[in-house]
Amino acid sequence: MGIERIKSIKDLPPEENVFSGTPACAGCGALLSLRLTLKALGRKIVIVNAAGCFTLLTIYPYTPFANSWLYTAMASAPAGAQGVRDALDILLEKGRLDPEEDLKVVVLTGDGAAYDIGLASTSGAIYRNLDFYYLCYDNEAYGNTGFQRSGATPFGSGTGTTPPGSVRPTGTELPKKDLFEIWRSHKPPYLATISPAYPVDLINKFKKAEQYKGPKLFIALSPCPPGWATDPSYTVKLAKLAVGTGVWALKEAVYGEVSHTIVPKKFKPVEEYLKEQGRFAHLFKPVRQEETLKKMQEMVDDYWKRHQLLL
Amino acid sequence: MLMLRVRFHGRGGQGAKVASRVLGTAAFLEGYYAQDFPLYGAERRGAPIAAFTRIADEPIMERGVISEPDVVIVMDKTLLRDHQAKPLSGLKKGGVIFINTPQSPEEARAEYTIAGQIITLDLTKICLDILQRTVISSLAGAVAAKIVGLSEASLKAAVEKVISEIVTDSVILEKNIEAALYCFHAIPAVELKTTEAVQMESRVFTMPFEPAAISSPALNTTGTTVLRKTGNWRVFRPVWDYDACNKCQICVARCPEGCILVNEEGFPYVDYENCKGCLICVEECPAKTLGKEREVHAKADSEEVIG
Repeated sequence: MGIERIKSIKDLPPEENVFSGTPACAGCGALLSLRLTLKALGRKIVIVNAAGCFTLLTIYPYTPFANSWLYTAMASAPAGAQGVRDALDILLEKGRLDPEEDLKVVVLTGDGAAYDIGLASTSGAIYRNLDFYYLCYDNEAYGNTGFQRSGATPFGSGTGTTPPGSVRPTGTELPKKDLFEIWRSHKPPYLATISPAYPVDLINKFKKAEQYKGPKLFIALSPCPPGWATDPSYTVKLAKLAVGTGVWALKEAVYGEVSHTIVPKKFKPVEEYLKEQGRFAHLFKPVRQEETLKKMQEMVDDYWKRHQLLL
Repeated sequence: MLMLRVRFHGRGGQGAKVASRVLGTAAFLEGYYAQDFPLYGAERRGAPIAAFTRIADEPIMERGVISEPDVVIVMDKTLLRDHQAKPLSGLKKGGVIFINTPQSPEEARAEYTIAGQIITLDLTKICLDILQRTVISSLAGAVAAKIVGLSEASLKAAVEKVISEIVTDSVILEKNIEAALYCFHAIPAVELKTTEAVQMESRVFTMPFEPAAISSPALNTTGTTVLRKTGNWRVFRPVWDYDACNKCQICVARCPEGCILVNEEGFPYVDYENCKGCLICVEECPAKTLGKEREVHAKADSEEVIG
């Protein structure tokens, strides 16, 4: 189980484990996150999929996967993963499954399930030290049903349920939940944030996670062209800007110890990230909301100051 | 009682719902009774959707989807070969079909074996020229308004009302009005003399009862989605210039669909049958050797004859 880190995009595992022809939107950042994740995890996995955008990837008789797939309600993917893991363990113990044929159990959820509806069952699974991988593709809202606000929606974003208007000109008034810190307080063996725009960092995090038994958790900030009201071709550009402006911190935590894996040498202004997206358009037009923009920049600065990476 | 039934077929994100809203609003402002509503499943940009408008001179008691339209507006011509969309199904004899395509009506008639009156216009090009985007809602609404015989004033007021509820940018609103009026004038006046339904295709399948081992949806195969041919979602196609390409493989890594492959010489190429045309590859190509071309004749994925 040595960790051989990859160094460049040319070292990405060539095998494709998500096939084309999915019904995901053109330019889907979550699909790119999933594709890279499954390059890291390989084919010997079972995906336990909570309801969300990716529900629609697998509709009989079509599947984009090369592996098995189990569908659960929004709240219960970690519980489903527990059942699958237990079944595999029992078969292994009874000698009815060759250890060579053992499978990794992977939970796949959107931010709605991860941050809100499925948080309790995820907490339970981490607490029980369930040996599984967990991928949350975070597009910062309930993207499958009209982009309603979720616990992952950031302050200032317009959504289907928090449209900016005269009473609440900022759109969403509450800040994004810090799921990384909520999970970290459970002290799981491995926890990381990832980005579809940084495939080398992404793959290396999965390689590192491999050595731990227990919960291995990943949150991927995944640009959503229809919800964020952006051009599909900008998906990777936006994911890069989220990291470059400091909005999305790429980090990992091993048994609770945090380290940042990619820190921008010079942080770009948060505005550069915001102004590209329709969900933040109300902050600039018809009237520039100076106070709100300032607050958003401060929220990001505070984070990096707290970690002593912005001086 | 006069009642006109209009059905819009588009892809998620093209604006079929808003187009039917524009038409319904224009009819309402002109003094008619009107209904408009969409039909779609989970939110998915690119998936086939339909929207409906009823216009009458008396209160409308009819409800539900329109299965026998007088006018069909096809906002994406690839839908003409789509097994789920079936845009021509139920179109009445004497009815009008509008197709968003650069083809002439004669070319479209020959390619798709369509009965009935055909009108064509390249809405996507007009939209790209005026609005620099491919959301053709007001344009399709304008085409429908002209076909059903509404006035320019009602259309203009309707676009103003509907689009200003969606966008706050006054420039985008003005350009929507400009594009709508351009299309309104580009469409010839037509006579709608519809009678009984033609081109009916059954959407109802009778499923025999099967034992659970046969009827339960167990998938014992992999990667079947490649059969779905999402290539017809494209408006633009990525095109490589191999003379300048340095084989850095960034386009391969950035493709969400995983449909950019590498040939024996190490050059990338795309599976056009499934590339949705998101163009992340074009945006990300560091050497800028990747270009895009407007998709005019998307490859048909079925040889099925329509009508």
